[in-house]
Amino acid sequence: MDELELLKKDWNKEKATYKSFSDSDIYPMLQKKSSSIVKTLFYISIAELGFWILVNTLPYFISEAYREKLNTSYENPLFMALSILSFVVILVFIYLLFKSYKSISITDNAKKLMESILRTRKVIKYYVIYNLVMIFISIPLSLYFEFNQNTVFHDQVASMNSTQTIKLYVVTVFITGIFLLVFWLFYKLLYGILLKRLNRNYDELKKLEV
Amino acid sequence: MNKELEHSFVEQLQKHQNIVHKVCRLYTNNADAHNDLFQEITIQLWRAYPKFRGDSKFSTWMYRVGLNTAITLYRKSKRRINTQEFDSVEFKIKAEEYDDTEEKQLKLLYQAVHQLNDIEKALVFLYLEDKDYREISTTLGITEVNARVKMNRVKKKLKTILNP
Repeated sequence: MDELELLKKDWNKEKATYKSFSDSDIYPMLQKKSSSIVKTLFYISIAELGFWILVNTLPYFISEAYREKLNTSYENPLFMALSILSFVVILVFIYLLFKSYKSISITDNAKKLMESILRTRKVIKYYVIYNLVMIFISIPLSLYFEFNQNTVFHDQVASMNSTQTIKLYVVTVFITGIFLLVFWLFYKLLYGILLKRLNRNYDELKKLEV
Repeated sequence: MNKELEHSFVEQLQKHQNIVHKVCRLYTNNADAHNDLFQEITIQLWRAYPKFRGDSKFSTWMYRVGLNTAITLYRKSKRRINTQEFDSVEFKIKAEEYDDTEEKQLKLLYQAVHQLNDIEKALVFLYLEDKDYREISTTLGITEVNARVKMNRVKKKLKTILNP
């Protein structure tokens, strides 16, 4: 006899091998917190948004010198445009995140459910990439601003010989590189652990289509 | 939340809880993990319940939410030991004293099913629950043809696990 048929016969015997939960067992279960990956992903995205908003705004609130400098920087149209852009981007990401969370439905079929979770993860990923790119751009940009506005710095750089200038570039690129690498590893690890099983199962379903 | 809604939900879940237990049985290896998954499925069912319109049977709806939770949403907690290895060790010992008696064979079968991956388990689960390929395909989001193909592969895989 087919192995599964034998199993099926036993499976449907409905013998009480499970501890049956009573109503009073089930009620408290409804109050418990979910530990699903969607919930974790949600907390991560909130933390992500909060972290980057904080990174961008905290210096403004704690350093008076920075605040003053920033206020003069706003006179520069390029800087102004970048600030407005970053604000709009945050709003767009909040909207996209909200939308993709709404689209996660446990009553979808398994493949669709996995896809909507992976889509949400992508939105978070893009937000992080956007922030890293902005940091990457802002380092040379702030050096440029500094060069134009800060006379001391301007003189220092102007008096540099070519080896020193190269050194400055190399150090800047190196530090930026390390910074990005650490972030990248952190995210790889974080999402790698969290979504390992989901990715594996999604691949298994995808594999069938080829 | 609405007390009436809560009451009707608990009543239905209580009645059909065997479905959830069966999902837990396939996807977990010990009582702690079983109860943990049961808890998570219950939460997911309860959350989705306000949207349950009754256009499908409550039990049918439970299959989908239960499996989705087990395959996709559920995170095994770290404190639990990895019983996968334990299972296969036990299986090897048992395989040597392989015997025709039905009970022993069943035990081996359950152990073999535990060695399948999450998607394969889902197929086996729906098959054991006597679901047709149409329902299997719509639950998992694959085509009916692929569901059949996959099912045949699962059967073969089970055979290989049982008769290495």
